[in-house]
Amino acid sequence: MLQLFESIIASTIVTMIRVFALILLSIISGWLLGYVAVKSKLFESIYITLTEIFESVPVFTFFPVALIFFVNGIGGYLGVELAADFLVFTAVVWNIWMGIYQAFKTIPKEMQEVIENYRFTFLNKMLKLYIPFSIPRIVANVYPSFASALFYITVSEVFSIGNTSFSLFGIGSEIYYFSVNNDIEGLTYSLITLTIFIILITYGIKRMEDWALSKYTVDTEYIIARRGKPRFRYTVIFNAIVNKVNPIQRIVKYRARRAPIIYERERGEGRKISIVGRVSLVLILFLIVYFTLISISFKDLIPYVLQTPFYIIGLGYDLVRIGVVMLFSTSISIFLGYLFATKLKKFERPFVFIIQVLASLPAPVYFPILYGILIHHLSFLGSLTPEFFVLMLAFLSTAWYVLYNYYIAVKSIPYEYWEIMDNFSMSLIKRLRLVVIPSTMPYLITGIISTVNGAWGGLILGEYWQNIYDSQTLQVTHGIMKYLDLAVNAGSIVEVSWISFVLSIFIAVYAILATKRGMDLARKRYTMEEGIFAA
Amino acid sequence: MDVTYTYPNGKTVLQDISFKVYEREFMSIVGPSGVGKSTLLRILGGFIKPTKGKVTLLGREVKSPTPLIALIHQSIVTFPWMTALDNVRLGVKWKNLPEDEEIKVARKYLDIVGLQDLADAYPKEMSGGMRQRIAIARALAAEPLVLLMDEPFSHLDELTAEGLRNEIYSILFSNVTTLKCVVLVSHNLTEVVKLSDKVIVLNGVPAKVVGEVNILIERPRNPRSEEFNKILDKIYEMLTPIRGGESAPII
Repeated sequence: MLQLFESIIASTIVTMIRVFALILLSIISGWLLGYVAVKSKLFESIYITLTEIFESVPVFTFFPVALIFFVNGIGGYLGVELAADFLVFTAVVWNIWMGIYQAFKTIPKEMQEVIENYRFTFLNKMLKLYIPFSIPRIVANVYPSFASALFYITVSEVFSIGNTSFSLFGIGSEIYYFSVNNDIEGLTYSLITLTIFIILITYGIKRMEDWALSKYTVDTEYIIARRGKPRFRYTVIFNAIVNKVNPIQRIVKYRARRAPIIYERERGEGRKISIVGRVSLVLILFLIVYFTLISISFKDLIPYVLQTPFYIIGLGYDLVRIGVVMLFSTSISIFLGYLFATKLKKFERPFVFIIQVLASLPAPVYFPILYGILIHHLSFLGSLTPEFFVLMLAFLSTAWYVLYNYYIAVKSIPYEYWEIMDNFSMSLIKRLRLVVIPSTMPYLITGIISTVNGAWGGLILGEYWQNIYDSQTLQVTHGIMKYLDLAVNAGSIVEVSWISFVLSIFIAVYAILATKRGMDLARKRYTMEEGIFAA
Repeated sequence: MDVTYTYPNGKTVLQDISFKVYEREFMSIVGPSGVGKSTLLRILGGFIKPTKGKVTLLGREVKSPTPLIALIHQSIVTFPWMTALDNVRLGVKWKNLPEDEEIKVARKYLDIVGLQDLADAYPKEMSGGMRQRIAIARALAAEPLVLLMDEPFSHLDELTAEGLRNEIYSILFSNVTTLKCVVLVSHNLTEVVKLSDKVIVLNGVPAKVVGEVNILIERPRNPRSEEFNKILDKIYEMLTPIRGGESAPII
């Protein structure tokens, strides 16, 4: 028993070390790249647009290619370790990089002039100004990165390519083996241990937020943060910690000094940046495709190319699934987030903490248990049972994002709007339709984008899951993620590459068209801060 | 009547405040910064419940916000995703009228504030003065009996503010609106004397009513006239800092 506990605790610690080492790597690289970005316009153009686009792409969908690259290319335990680390890195890095970049961009000019005046060296500039200034935003991004990292690390500690299984020491692999061996005791203790770790770490992150906010936030930062193109994804995360102090005071503070002229000027720049970024994205995609295809013989590829319509139908199935998850989680969030932000204020703090813990608790580790409990009660669903479970997994993997984003947005609605709604005795439906949903639109869209990305992760796991419980396999009839899983299981590098390519084309188009357009529309029409005019 | 308000932290900000506002009366509340003027205005509107005392409208207690008492904010509040017309329609929604009727009412109030040609424009295409006119039209469209105005001109440039001040009285008390009275909170004493029939002066900690000034000068009022300045001086005198409940001389 003691040995079991020791092993579970040690593996949890190893997993957490992996997660935080990668978060640290993201922070250090973010400082360096962020500094270069604020100094070089060209680099900034490419860096920012690519970061934004990559963040809106579910990187997990490219995981099989990365796996094969690292496992086949480097090999051994190191290759497996690097494959898992690469996946987690891509899950945590983007928001940390963007947070640091935004911090660097919003350093008050006066402070920059002081360090220029005293001719600080690069190291001193970083130590005395840039790094301290970026700390609140980094801390604000640690929690979502931690949650995202745990989701991916627990599933990437064990994987199979063809007949070969690879595993790393960590709580993800421990849970997998307990689950496969029907070791309920081991599984229960692992889940309890992991939950305790998550609660403690989430609490620690919250304490760190308070400390960073009191020590490193300058009074004017919030005002400066409003300049330039608003990036709601990062504003949401930042607001979440800043707003804790006093939401109304903060709102009053920034609206008192809006700077529309700067807004206009930077919008023009944004367009230029976007063009350079898109060209870079196309170039990168071209290079990926080129190197993937030259490493594969054309003859081997043809059968899979001919299968493309079949893969596209699978993609269609997955899009419907994602649509269902998105609609369901958005509808629930709209009412639940509103309720906690307005009517159940007493329970707000525990609500936020619970949401954060639930979001960090990786669905893949507790899902087999839910499956085991529910499978016997869902026979009435017949052939739709696997669909139900896949949708449920996608929902659990992702619903928290939209709920959390929306909740923060509702909290950010200016108090004047609430007073107007009260004044005109508006019903709940009218409040939501006319004021609350439009006010929260940019945040809602950001949440939906994250939800969609998370849902892809849920689908790739759920559409074909061998030994999920009691030697059963969960699988759906159609779905591009299922085909990808099957291709990985069969060890067919060519098929994996082709499916990933089809998927990447769709996702790149989706990222550029839907994600960016959605955000642009939200920014253009639904910026609630613009509704409060103050000289 | 006898309104007292204590913040959740235990600090009493308003104590035993009593006054009446009559039909066709434009009343202003003045007082030093932080004295609780805006809090009092929100108590009058039912947005905040007083710790003690009550507010009545035509004899009935005001327990919660109602469209019969409309509030206009200090910062100019419009909804950027709605056109000027839709912003004003928001004030009519509580009546649950058919859509064409709702539009008709909203257009009527846009006309009153002089924005009939900008019905389809969005707030961000408008100046601060125009946006405040939308906010006024929205409040009037609810067809309230009382209008509460919380420093409504403070975020406008002086020229725009002056123009709107000159128009506001005739807009508010035109025969087209349903308004019975207006309560204004302001720091700007010239504005207060120019617009009001009665001024309530708050002062002290916790704030009490330290004076009530009736202004009987004919409109339009000339801020350079002797009578105007006499009233101004009287209000300034009441606003001198109070320590321990007594007025303290400045010099």
